[in-house]
Amino acid sequence: MENLLIITVLFPLIAAAAVFLLPAGRPRWIRGLAVGATGGSLLLTLVMFSQFDRSNAGYQFVGGFAWLPSLNIRLRFGVDGISMTLLLLVGFVSFAGALISHEIHERQKEYYILFLALTTGISGTFASMDLFFFYFFYELAVIPMYLLIGMYGSLPPGRHGRTKEYATMKLTLYLTAGAVLALIGLLTMYYAGGRTFDMVELRENLRLAGNAQKWVFACLLFGFGFLASLFPFHTWSPLGYAAAPTAASMMHAGVLKKLGAYGILRLALPMMPEGARHWADLLATLACFNILYAGWAALTQQDWKFVIGYSSVSHMGYVLLGMATLNVIGISGAVLLMFAHGVMAALTFSLIGWFYHQTHNRNVTELSGLARKIPFIGGCMVMAAMASSGLPGFANFVSEIMVFLGAWQQGSTLFRVATVCAVWGIVVTATYLLRAVRTSFFGPLDEKWKMLTDAVTLWQRLPYAMLIAVLLAVGFHPRLLTDIIRQSVAAMWGGQ
Amino acid sequence: MMGFYAMQLECLLAILAITTLLTDAFCPMTDKRRLGYVLAGLVTITLVYSFGLVPIHESLFHGLCRVDVFALFFKRLFLAVTALALVASAEFSERLETGVAEFYALFLFAATGMLLTASANDFVLLFVSLELVTVTFYVLTGFLRRQAASLEAGTKYLIIGALASGFTVYGIAYIFGTTGTTNFDALAAVLKRGNPGAAFTLGMLFVLAGLAFKISSVPAQIWTPDVYQGAPTPVTAFLATGSKAAGMALVMRVCLAGLLPVREQWMTLWLVLSAVTLLYGNLCAIPQRNIKRLLGYSSIGHAGYLLMGLAAANALGAEATLFYLGQYVFTNLCAFLVVIAVTHVTANDEISSFAGLGRRSPLLGLSLFLAMMSLAGVPPLSGFFGKFQLFAAVIERAQTDWHYYLLAGVGAAGVVISLYFYLNVGRVIYLQEAEETTPIPVRPAMQWALWSCLAAMIGLGIFSRPMVEAAQNAARMIVWR
Repeated sequence: MENLLIITVLFPLIAAAAVFLLPAGRPRWIRGLAVGATGGSLLLTLVMFSQFDRSNAGYQFVGGFAWLPSLNIRLRFGVDGISMTLLLLVGFVSFAGALISHEIHERQKEYYILFLALTTGISGTFASMDLFFFYFFYELAVIPMYLLIGMYGSLPPGRHGRTKEYATMKLTLYLTAGAVLALIGLLTMYYAGGRTFDMVELRENLRLAGNAQKWVFACLLFGFGFLASLFPFHTWSPLGYAAAPTAASMMHAGVLKKLGAYGILRLALPMMPEGARHWADLLATLACFNILYAGWAALTQQDWKFVIGYSSVSHMGYVLLGMATLNVIGISGAVLLMFAHGVMAALTFSLIGWFYHQTHNRNVTELSGLARKIPFIGGCMVMAAMASSGLPGFANFVSEIMVFLGAWQQGSTLFRVATVCAVWGIVVTATYLLRAVRTSFFGPLDEKWKMLTDAVTLWQRLPYAMLIAVLLAVGFHPRLLTDIIRQSVAAMWGGQ
Repeated sequence: MMGFYAMQLECLLAILAITTLLTDAFCPMTDKRRLGYVLAGLVTITLVYSFGLVPIHESLFHGLCRVDVFALFFKRLFLAVTALALVASAEFSERLETGVAEFYALFLFAATGMLLTASANDFVLLFVSLELVTVTFYVLTGFLRRQAASLEAGTKYLIIGALASGFTVYGIAYIFGTTGTTNFDALAAVLKRGNPGAAFTLGMLFVLAGLAFKISSVPAQIWTPDVYQGAPTPVTAFLATGSKAAGMALVMRVCLAGLLPVREQWMTLWLVLSAVTLLYGNLCAIPQRNIKRLLGYSSIGHAGYLLMGLAAANALGAEATLFYLGQYVFTNLCAFLVVIAVTHVTANDEISSFAGLGRRSPLLGLSLFLAMMSLAGVPPLSGFFGKFQLFAAVIERAQTDWHYYLLAGVGAAGVVISLYFYLNVGRVIYLQEAEETTPIPVRPAMQWALWSCLAAMIGLGIFSRPMVEAAQNAARMIVWR
């Protein structure tokens, strides 16, 4: 039982080591192993979810061992309602990502090693109860991402004149800059909390004066904010997604980006409440910029991936706004939105990957009438657009409503204005998504796209169907997740 | 008898060096490469043997030297470095026109000097061992007599090295003049009664400035890129690892044993120098096009990181510096081994000539990429945990003196900047296509050396505990004695 979580997290890494030993001339074995490992990891996560004690707000499946006693570092994993939700997200997205990676034909061995290492880095971060390993896994995810984008990505020449090398370098440097900034804050917490990296002990023991809290909170907020694409540190994000291969875009927009928000939520908010109150107004303001500025930017984009990239920056604004409310419903909404947006973003990027792989074109205006040739993909894209615009029935709707309620409940004029901005943001979202879907998928079919083929086999349809099913399941029965999220958020934040 | 026990490793190496020279005189070797492998094997045996030695807690030869845990830590490190450097020079030996045996012998003499520096407990032995290392390197850097670059490197190293030695001796004279002793223990006892005055402080500054030359820290860093680029690559590798570690051993011994009572003064000095060195090394590395030159600037940057731990002047800082050095030498040697293997085929040490290395030789590509990532501090490689500890040490000091947050900030900026140029090398290896696609052969000895470096990099990153504990014991011996 205790080892279930460790196995789940390390499973992809072990598979990566196995892939390393396989001969490169056996792509089917390699691919089978990668799909099996991510699928197995997803199954184990689902088993954990079914055995999850829904009345317990604290950490479960806790297990680990001392790694370095002299610095009090322990490799310790455990999940509560928040990290359980996000681990489920990693499970679904990584499995879908491995499934759609059949489009990779070159250097497959390296590709799957990197993809599996990336998966372990992300799930390890969500599962760590120790600050050192939180940071360790967080950094572990960065370099595989660099190579995935650099080796397998593509960036059509645009008006920016940027190459994929530029995009991936920018992304890596931004993420590392954020990470080292956060590290300074984390180490200060280590000393102020009586030399412990354990998150539970830290929460009890951390003694930081009000003024110090402001500084340390700022380190964490902006450090992790880089990764959560907090305005104005978001510029790496659309460019990076646009350049990345499909599965890397899915993993990045879907889960890796959530690590930043998770860091703020897990470490900064509950441990430094005074700092949180000091910065909440600024965070809410920046979140509004995220929502509206990135939404406005998405309106003007011609490249599908840039549209969705800016859309994802815009949606992170809702997550950040939810956290800035500092009340249980707002923060819970932010967590559920991380899940919902993660699934939705992965779905959208995987759909773009389907037609881009065949057309080598993802310009919104140059594509048209695709739905006639690829009705399944077109239908999924319409669903994704509806989910993204927050239509009832999808998980996104529930979570956005929770964020709005939290922000309105917060009461101050600033937050009321922010709520209005956020609601207006939904209109913007609907505008750019419907425009893009209408232009590319409907209307007359261009001769050029006659050769497109649809997803027909079960294996081809499985990733898309699975992600849509998850969105609908949580949309119709949100208590599946909201119960455990609210409970853990309340335990973490409620006392303050 | 105790004296011989303490000095046996140095004696062994010196005998080995002299035998190498004699062998060459009496029976000229036809296969110079094999001689290098044999010597590397013998040094490895010495390394294994050294783990059987027990530390001696008293000082020996009337306080001249110590063979404590700290000294043994460094001696073992130097032996490991020498073994790998000998493999590197064996691989390089075909490019030497004459004097291959002398080349190996000089490596061994330098190694003898390095082992001596680890024990130095007196300014006299400090100077003697330092000169033994430095003078050997004067010869080694200029060993390729027909190449202007090598000669230029030798001359540059000689001039700046002589200047640094001058500073050191001048400083020692001041220290002796004001305190009446050259022994570190006696010096610490005198200094406990207070700083003897401005003349002493000046002497201390001179000595530390002279030592800064060895570790290529600001203000004596200027020689590094030119010498690294011009010197034969195995010499560069040895200079960047062994010689730097020797310098660091001396700096630590001087500061943490002899000058510990006046640490308030040198802490500020290292704080400033560390920050300046970090920025200088990392920023200047950005435009480099030559891999050896890049590694030269990277070496300056890493001197800055090493000094971070010293500037923190706490137990964790000393331990972190030792751990960092311990993993840094393997990482750096790994990079240089790859450079030697690749330039053997391409005869070109521009970074662009490494294009497509991942395809041309998966092992070399992976080794160089991982070495770069470890230097940049990416998990799960050893450089990550080394940097983590250094930052932890600085932040610990920052709890009482907020200026150290500035150092941590500069260090953080350094990490981001360095990731840029290290990743640029990685980009060339994996992202760029090669113009020439012929595979690059890797000889078995080279493979062994690379695999051991990789094992050290990954092993020390994941199973750091044994090395951390060894470093802790070593640090405890000098700091809180």
